[in-house]
Amino acid sequence: MKKVKIVINGKTVEGVQDQSVLSLARENGMYIPSLCYNAEVQSSGGSCRVCLVEVHQGKSMRVVTSCNYPVREGIEVKTDTEFVRKIRKGVLELLLCRAPESSEIKELAARDGITEPRFFTDGPDVHLKNCIACSLCTQVCEDVVGVSAISMVNRGREKQPAAPYMKASNACIGCGACAYACPTGAIEMTDTPDARTIWGKTFEMQKCSVCSTPFIPKEQAEWIIKTTGKDRAFFEKCPTHR
Amino acid sequence: MATIQSADQLEKVRETLRAGVKHDLPSVLVCFGTGCQANGARDVAAALEEEIKKQGLAVNVSIGLKTTGCHGYCENGPLVVLRPQDVLYLKVKPKDVPEIVEKSIKEGAIIDRLVYKDVNTKAAIAKYHEIPFYAYQKRIALRNIGTVDPCVIDDYLINDGYKALAKTLTMDPEAVIKEIEESGLRGRGGGGFPAGRKWRSCRAVESDVRYVMCNGDEGDPGAFMDRSIMEGDPHSVIEGMIIGGYAVGARQGYVYVRDEYPLAVKNLEIAIDAAREKGLLGKNILGSGFDFDIKISRGGGAFVCGESSALMRSLEGKVGEPRAKYIRSVEKGLYDKPSVLNNVETWNNVPVIMLNGAAWYAAMGTEGSKGTKVFSLVGKVNNTGLVEVPMGITIKELVEKIGGGVLGGKAFKAVQTGGPSGGCIPKELADLPIDFDSLTKVGSMMGSGGIIVMDENTCMVDVARYFIDFLVQESCGKCAPCRDGLPRMLGILNGITEGKGTAEDIDTLNELCDVLTWGALCGLGTSAANPVLSTLKYFKDEYLAHIRDKKCPAGVCKALITYRIIAEKCTGCMLCAKNCPQKCITGEKKMPHVIDESKCIKCGICYDVCKFDAVMIQ
Repeated sequence: MKKVKIVINGKTVEGVQDQSVLSLARENGMYIPSLCYNAEVQSSGGSCRVCLVEVHQGKSMRVVTSCNYPVREGIEVKTDTEFVRKIRKGVLELLLCRAPESSEIKELAARDGITEPRFFTDGPDVHLKNCIACSLCTQVCEDVVGVSAISMVNRGREKQPAAPYMKASNACIGCGACAYACPTGAIEMTDTPDARTIWGKTFEMQKCSVCSTPFIPKEQAEWIIKTTGKDRAFFEKCPTHR
Repeated sequence: MATIQSADQLEKVRETLRAGVKHDLPSVLVCFGTGCQANGARDVAAALEEEIKKQGLAVNVSIGLKTTGCHGYCENGPLVVLRPQDVLYLKVKPKDVPEIVEKSIKEGAIIDRLVYKDVNTKAAIAKYHEIPFYAYQKRIALRNIGTVDPCVIDDYLINDGYKALAKTLTMDPEAVIKEIEESGLRGRGGGGFPAGRKWRSCRAVESDVRYVMCNGDEGDPGAFMDRSIMEGDPHSVIEGMIIGGYAVGARQGYVYVRDEYPLAVKNLEIAIDAAREKGLLGKNILGSGFDFDIKISRGGGAFVCGESSALMRSLEGKVGEPRAKYIRSVEKGLYDKPSVLNNVETWNNVPVIMLNGAAWYAAMGTEGSKGTKVFSLVGKVNNTGLVEVPMGITIKELVEKIGGGVLGGKAFKAVQTGGPSGGCIPKELADLPIDFDSLTKVGSMMGSGGIIVMDENTCMVDVARYFIDFLVQESCGKCAPCRDGLPRMLGILNGITEGKGTAEDIDTLNELCDVLTWGALCGLGTSAANPVLSTLKYFKDEYLAHIRDKKCPAGVCKALITYRIIAEKCTGCMLCAKNCPQKCITGEKKMPHVIDESKCIKCGICYDVCKFDAVMIQ
C-alpha cells in the first residue's frame, strides 16, 4: 500500500494511493456530503453527484465525485469553492425535484439554501417515491447479500429499483438490507410480530425459542444456512439469548 | 480450404486471384448498401442477372455482375455503376434493366434519363468521378466501398487486403505503435483521442490479458458512416483490429455492433468466418506465432452504449451504464483488463496507414487533425449522403461544392455537427476548417461526423429543443444532472417555443448547462448541454424574440406564428380552402381569400399547397 500526500482545502494530508478522496477527507475530519456512497459496498458511488469536489492538477481543474476519485500523488482537492458549491446546489435542486418529500434531500438542499425547486417535481407515477435511483439498494443486494433479487429497471427519469416484473420475487429473502442502505428511506419495509413485507412479498418470521421475539425472516435464515453451512440450531434463538 | 501459412503464400494467393480477373470484361456493380436495398437494389440485381443471360451474355464469363457496399449517395439509390466506362446510373428500377443491358452494356451507349443532373447547372453528368458529389471527395476510409464485394474475401485480397497485416507481423509491436502515432490518427468516434497514444498506454500496463474492441454502436440520428464501412468493407475493420491486437498485445477482439444494423452484423460475420478459414484470424496468423480472434457482440439499442464504459459493461453482459473513468480503460477496461476501444472508422484507417506509411497519412489534413474524415451530410442541402474529405475542408466548401448548396435556393443559416450533443455553428463561421480542434473551439464537436445543414426556415430554439428531447429519451438515468436536469431543460425549451418563456429562462438554462457540463457522470451527460449552449451563444436574439416578442423569426414554432394570405398575390384559385382541414379559409372564386385565425390550427397545408406564394407566415 503506497502512501501518498495530497492537499485538501489547503491542508496536506497523507493517504493510501487509490483510496477515495471522500474517505481520506473524512479521515481528516472534513465534511463532504454524500448519499449513494457506502464504504461497505465496493461498487457503490458516483451516481448522486452530491459529493462533487474540485480536483486541481497542474493547470487543469475537474469537478469529480470524491467518493470514487482515487487519491494520487500531486492532486489538490477543494471541497468548498464557490464554483463547486454552485454545481452541487444545482444537483441538489434536481434531486429535490425527484424526491421532494425526502427529509434527507430536503435537509441537504436547505444547507445550500434551496427550499423549493424552481422546476416541476416527479409524482408517484414516474418512479418509486423518494427514490433518487442511486442503485445502492441493488448493489447491496447483489454484492453484499448475493441474491440479486432487485435490479434497476427503466431508464432516464423512470429509472428505479424493482423486483422482476414488479412482482414478488422468488429470489428475495426479506433481509431488508436494501431498505437499511437506502439513503433516502425510499424502500418500504413493514414488520409485524408475525411477518415482514418488502417488495410486495410477505415473509414469515423466525421467533426466538426463549423470548418469542421475531428476529429474522425464515427465508433469510435458510439462505444463510445454505450459503455458509451455519448450524440450523443457531437460528432458534435470537441474538440476545444465543 | 487450406489456411495461408505465411506472408509469401499470401502474396502468391493474391497473384493467382489477380490473374483470374479479366480486366477487359465489362462489369456492372450494384450497390447493396442498406439504403439501396431498401429502394429495391435486390430486384435490380436479380433482373440484371436474368437479362444478361437472356440477351446471350454470361455472368462471370462475358460480363461481371457484382454487389457492393454503399456509395454514400443513398437518396438516389438504387445505384448502378458500369465499368470500364465509369458511368453511374441513379434510381434504377428493374424495368430499366433490359435497356441498360441492351444499350449500355452491349453498345456502350449512355441512357440519359438515368444519369445525374446537376441541380444548379442542370447539366447531365454520366461519369461517376465527375459528379460534384464525388469529384471533391478523397476516399481513403471508403477506399473499397462500392468497389469490392464485402462478402467475398478474395475481392478484398485482390485490392491489397491483409497486405498491411503481413507487413505488420514482421515489425516490432513498438514500431507499429510508433507508425500509428506518427500518422497522427485520432479517434473517429467523437473524442478525437490520438489512437497511437491510446495503444501505447494500453501496452504499457502490465497484464497477461488485454483486449481490443471496435465501437460499432453508431447512434447519432442521421449518421451512418460506420454502418457503411461495416457493411461495405468489413475486412478493413477486421484487418485493423488484428494489427491493433498485435501492437498492444491482445489476443481477443470484440466488435460491438448495434442490433439495428442487421446487414453490418451479417457481413461482419461472413467476413470473420472467411478470414478465419484463410488463417488470417485464429492461431498462428500467417505463421507469425501471433494468435488473435474476433467475436461480435450485438447491442440492445441504447444510445449510451456508444459511450466507452457503458459499451464495455454491456459487452460483459451487464446493464449498459457508464462508470466513472477516473481510472482509464487502457488500465482497467473490459473485464477490468487493459483495453483499447476504437471506433469503426479508426480501425478501418489502420491498414492503409500501415501499408502506405505514417508520412503519407500525415500529409493529409491539418496540423492537429490528420487524414480524411467521413461525414454524413444531411439536412437542407441538395446532395445528401456519405462524403469523405480531407480534414480542414471548410464548412462552406462542404456545403456548396459537395452538397451542391442549400436546398431550394434558400439562405444558409447554420450547420449542426457532432450528433445530438454537438453544437450549431452559424453561417458567419462558414469559413471555419472542419477538424477536431476548430469545432471544439467554437463550441461544437467532431463527434462521429454528422453534419446537418440548416436553412433560414430552421428555428434554432426548436433545434435545441429537438436534441435535448432526444437526449432525454436516451439518458440512462444513472446520474442526477443528466437524468433530472435534461427533462427540466426540455421543459423550459418547450415553454419558450410555446410562447410561455420568461425573462429568467436564459439564466436558468445556463445554470442547468453548468450542472450538466461539470456535474454529469459520462461523456453523454457532460456534452448534453452543447445544443443549448451553442444556440444561446450564436442565436441569442432568436431566444429573445421567442421570449420577449413572442415571435418565432424562422416561422417554425406553431404557438408563435400566424398564417395570413397576401391579398395582392392571391388569385382566388381556392386550392388552400379546399385543402384546409379546419375549413377556416373563405373567399369567392378569383377573389382574395382570408384565413380565420381563431379556427386555424397552423398545420401549414395552405402554405404548402399555394402555387402563388400568397400564404405568408408571420
